[in-house]
Amino acid sequence: MEPDASIETSSMIRVAVIPISDVTPLLFRDYAAMLIRHHTVSLSSISSFYTEHQKSPFAHQPWESGSLRFKFILGGSPPSPWEDFQSNRKILAVIGICHCPSAPDLRSVADQFTAASKTYSSSLVQRCFAFCPVDSQLEDESVKGSNLILFPPADRQTQEFHLQTMVQDIAASLLMEFEKWVLQAESGGTVFKTPLDSQASLSSEEVIKAKKRRLGRAQKTIGDYCLLAGSPVDANAHYSTSLELTRLTADFFWYAGAMEGSVCALLMDRMGHKDPVLEDEVKYRYNSVILHYRKSFIQDNAQRVSPLSFELEATLKLARFLCRRELASDVVELLTATADGATSLIDASDKLVVYVEIARLFGELGYHRKAAFFSRQVAQLYLQQDNKFAAISAMQVLAMTTKAYRVQSRASIGPSNDAGQTHADGGKVHHHSIVSLFESQWSTLQMVVLREILLSAVRAGDPLAAWSAAARLLRSYYPLITPAGQNGLFGALVNSAERLPLGTRCSDPALPFVRLHSFPLHSSQMDIVKRNPAREDWWAGAAPSGPFIYTPFSKGEPNNSNKQELTWVVGEPVQVLVELANPCGFEVMVESIYLSVHSGNLDAFPVSVSLPPNSSKVITLSGIPTNEGLVSIPGCIVHCFGVITEHFFKEVDGLIIGATQGLVLSDPFRSCGAAKFKNVLLPSITVVPSLPLLVSHIAGGDGSVMLYEGEIRDVWISLANAGTVPVEQAHISLSGKNQDSVVTVASETLRSALPLKPGAEVTIRVTLKAWQLSKTDSDAAASKGMPGSSVRQAKDGSSPLLLIHYAECADVKGNKNLCLAREPETVSAPPPGRRLVIPLNICVLQGLSFVKARLLSMEIPARIGEACSTQAQLERGNTEQVNGSERHADRLVKIDPNRGSWGLRLLELELYNPTDVVFETSVSVDMENTSNQENLSDNISAEHGEPKTRIDRDYTARVLIPLENFKLPVLDGSILGNSFQNNGTSGSRNNSFSEKNIKAELNASIKNLISKIKVRWQSGRNSSGELDIKDAIQAALQASVMDVLLPDPLTFGFRLAKASSGDINVDREVKSCVSGDSIIAHEMTAMEVLVRNNTKEAIRINLSIACKDVAGENCMEGDKATVLWEGVLSGISMEVPPLEEVKHAFSLYFLIPGEYTMLAAAMIYDANEVLRARARSDALDEPIFCRGPPYHVRVSGTR
Amino acid sequence: MIVCLAVVGHENNPLYIQSFTESDDALKLHHIVHCSLDVIDERVNNPKKSSPTINEAFLGLLYPTENYKVYGYLTNTKVKFILVTTDLDIRDADVRNVSLLFFRKFHAAYVDAVSNPFHIPGKKITSKTFRERVSSIVKSFGLSSAS
Repeated sequence: MEPDASIETSSMIRVAVIPISDVTPLLFRDYAAMLIRHHTVSLSSISSFYTEHQKSPFAHQPWESGSLRFKFILGGSPPSPWEDFQSNRKILAVIGICHCPSAPDLRSVADQFTAASKTYSSSLVQRCFAFCPVDSQLEDESVKGSNLILFPPADRQTQEFHLQTMVQDIAASLLMEFEKWVLQAESGGTVFKTPLDSQASLSSEEVIKAKKRRLGRAQKTIGDYCLLAGSPVDANAHYSTSLELTRLTADFFWYAGAMEGSVCALLMDRMGHKDPVLEDEVKYRYNSVILHYRKSFIQDNAQRVSPLSFELEATLKLARFLCRRELASDVVELLTATADGATSLIDASDKLVVYVEIARLFGELGYHRKAAFFSRQVAQLYLQQDNKFAAISAMQVLAMTTKAYRVQSRASIGPSNDAGQTHADGGKVHHHSIVSLFESQWSTLQMVVLREILLSAVRAGDPLAAWSAAARLLRSYYPLITPAGQNGLFGALVNSAERLPLGTRCSDPALPFVRLHSFPLHSSQMDIVKRNPAREDWWAGAAPSGPFIYTPFSKGEPNNSNKQELTWVVGEPVQVLVELANPCGFEVMVESIYLSVHSGNLDAFPVSVSLPPNSSKVITLSGIPTNEGLVSIPGCIVHCFGVITEHFFKEVDGLIIGATQGLVLSDPFRSCGAAKFKNVLLPSITVVPSLPLLVSHIAGGDGSVMLYEGEIRDVWISLANAGTVPVEQAHISLSGKNQDSVVTVASETLRSALPLKPGAEVTIRVTLKAWQLSKTDSDAAASKGMPGSSVRQAKDGSSPLLLIHYAECADVKGNKNLCLAREPETVSAPPPGRRLVIPLNICVLQGLSFVKARLLSMEIPARIGEACSTQAQLERGNTEQVNGSERHADRLVKIDPNRGSWGLRLLELELYNPTDVVFETSVSVDMENTSNQENLSDNISAEHGEPKTRIDRDYTARVLIPLENFKLPVLDGSILGNSFQNNGTSGSRNNSFSEKNIKAELNASIKNLISKIKVRWQSGRNSSGELDIKDAIQAALQASVMDVLLPDPLTFGFRLAKASSGDINVDREVKSCVSGDSIIAHEMTAMEVLVRNNTKEAIRINLSIACKDVAGENCMEGDKATVLWEGVLSGISMEVPPLEEVKHAFSLYFLIPGEYTMLAAAMIYDANEVLRARARSDALDEPIFCRGPPYHVRVSGTR
Repeated sequence: MIVCLAVVGHENNPLYIQSFTESDDALKLHHIVHCSLDVIDERVNNPKKSSPTINEAFLGLLYPTENYKVYGYLTNTKVKFILVTTDLDIRDADVRNVSLLFFRKFHAAYVDAVSNPFHIPGKKITSKTFRERVSSIVKSFGLSSAS
């Protein structure tokens, strides 16, 4: 039995090619390859070497078209016992190959070759080819005449040409030898024997039989030689004779042999042309061959030798001849029969050859599973031979079956599969991998194959193959392997690894399973923002957007929806979370695991992990990008069980998808209790050059700032550049909830610090004002009663965020040159900027709570005193300053004693302190709208000296806010007055003003008014703030805002005239300051009434003055008048110029000491609309009365 | 006698393999079923080769191995039924009729099994009812073929 047998084998001349004297295997193979190319030598090319010594027995040799065929057997082979039966089994020529530089002595080479060729007794021609001889060897005459042929050193082409010539020479010599042999055989008495013929004592009967048969056998052998000589017609003639003779002598074995030869001759004659008729003929004849081989089976020597191998060989030859898809069923039948017959073969190596051939033919037919099945049989036969080389062969054969069983090593799949898998990005797993998942369900078979590979690899001493097989077995079939078996595989892995050199890589991953968990996003401290070069505020609208917020087209693009993009920065560490799973029953020690970066621009840091049995773990793998560009991270490099392997994320993803579809045995992560699978797509990661990096630090700790409602506090935030590139541009903005709680941000400070060099630091101030807690918040806080609730509140994102966008190049356009110098590409796409998010963690505590507000009116009569102020000081509301300095108590209320506070309105606020600290409140009025210097000073004085109201915990307190001061100085001078002024000045327009418009203006001025009122509080040393009571004030004021806000058109005042001398005046003043009592009975008291016009137009009035006693009786008229007067007191007609005062002097003489009340009243003539509107009178002709506030006069008796 | 019955999915994934022999030759039967896929593949890829007279679903004798004969049946959804028998002496025509009948019954059982809303297509059939039903079909087939 021989491998590679085919019908044509019979026509091939066997040539042994043997190395002579130290040829390295590599060189030998190289030279042999050159030789093997000349396996067919056409007869026409050898005619020049051929000399016809006598008449050739090959009468019909096709010199034009025929050829000799060689079968080179490298290393030679032992002689076959069947040489006589099939001449093509003989080694007919020997070619030695010698490499001269390694064999200096040509003489000895020639001797060695002669000795070597002696072992091939059947050889007819011997040649030794010596390559690359040196000059001295070329000149060596001693080898002349021997078979040694020197090939002078030349280029390969020339050498090949020489070789071809030499082969042709050999062919010619062989042809002549064949002729000689045939002539000799025809005449001579050569005996042809096979092992089939009984070897023992030749009985006479046997001898006679042998003699009878000799002729037929001789004819068959001559036919063989004819075939070898390339003359099919001659061969056919001899075979026909042989067939006749052998049939007659019932020599079935030789009959079959002759038949085989005749088929070969037929095919040779047809020169390889196949047609159905020929096929049928071959099939028919070969069936007969097979039949006769079977017939020749002799029971006697069945133990020793059997023609079965020839029968099988013939079957295989036929199968090979027919081996085409169209004839698959025929071939399968033949092969099945062969396989059946092979079981009864005695010789193990014959069996091996048969199975190898069957497997090969099945493979050729496209029946890969069948081929794999028989390959496995071959491997088992190899494994039965207990030696290392057989084990290696077994391993190699099994490795070929892995493809059919879908358990191939990743190394054998090659990169094509990788390329296929890259298409799987779209979320769908590539078709190929799905198919392999399906096929991977033949676990029973697959496990057997892998186990056999493991066994053979262990036996063959190939630790890497053993490791790989064990890894595949463990990784794919762990759910089917018992814990003991798993431990066994674990042992196999460890044992194999011990024999491997340190750092060996294997393409097949073992445990653990590694899948991508997530890419942690940049912390808000390091956010990267794409720059929009077209805009000044480059951070906004980096994405192109139309006029629509939602664009259905952009939504539909699959690339956008599932292709996440990540940007990494050179030199800044990055992290990737991966999940490891060990579903087996032993602990897996991962010596190191790190990201596998195919793009080579990331330094990955290894991590060591230990995974207990049946566990999974999420670990963080980190690395530092080193170069800009794209990064691809297809998996992890794992050093585990002593071998380095690469684990691809995609494979595990496919596995898990398969598990969900029920195609794979089990999901390794699920079985370890890991969280549910979420498909993490590999984002496209870009590495950009170094960017600046701002690091923020809030002075006083990064914890949340505890503030009471309305509290105002400064927070200092220090920003440091921790990057390697200066910050050249920065912009601060706010985002998040409660943005208005950030009062000011000192962005100027930051801007002035630019460019911020690496390592530099800048501190900016942020002023915060705590917002009001909403009703629900405060309720929740109250119900919990603990500050813990407010901590929770701080976390739920109600705090504002400070966003700082910063970048390297201050101005993309302006610094183009700079960019150009740095990196030419950046012109098109500037390096991205960054965003630093500083959460201002404000935790608002409930502070003073407002209970209610009421508007109170109060009537405090003014006293008549002597005005010690000048006219200028008296103007407007300044008087309070003077008085304020006099009397402390009056400061808050700020009553103008001259004008009195008739109709003074006070806003009463009721405040409750629910906290556990003490609050002090103070009311101030900001007059920041007016630019008056004196007002400002007034404001300051008010702030400095304002009295504080202390509110203890769980107490309620009331705070009074006088509203007098808000009276506008001029009826039509203020914002509100404007409308009236317009009304007044151009009557034609007044009607066009709608009620609504006036109301809106009014509301605006109310707001203005309200915003001036500030209730400040202080608690402890650090906390201070403002109560937010605007709404409450507005609600309280809404009803009577007109009265509060608008001044009367006329104000009246009384005062003592400055008739007296300065000394007395001073004296009196002092007195009045002390007692407030300056009028004495029985003395003429000079008085003045002051009428001030608050409008911008002159008013004509009719003034009258009255004086009433305590009982309210008019005490100047009537019978019992107690006051005498001098001057005019009633019906005084006067015109008051706009915004000016008019004095009217008179004198009173009080007869009785006591309390009196002075009243001034006026009737306005020709009132305009403004006045009428103020008086709320509708009738045009109705006179308008203006009444001044009552002035108290205390008349003391004697001094 | 029926030795083994197998259902193989459209991606050549085994869905169900049941053997009816006492001896422990599961691996061998797996191999036989696995190898028979070669033949089915070939017949599916060269449909004109199969003779048009017989039912399209029935693939007939796939190949004889050592002691077994393997018959195949292909459903419209490319699910393959593979039957391994040891009946070597029944004439081909008989076998065709009998085994066609058998495959029809088996097909009905399979359709019922995969109609189960809890069955995931492509997953191995684990239904106990199916197993019992197949066993009874096999038993009745043994009786009918014997008679």
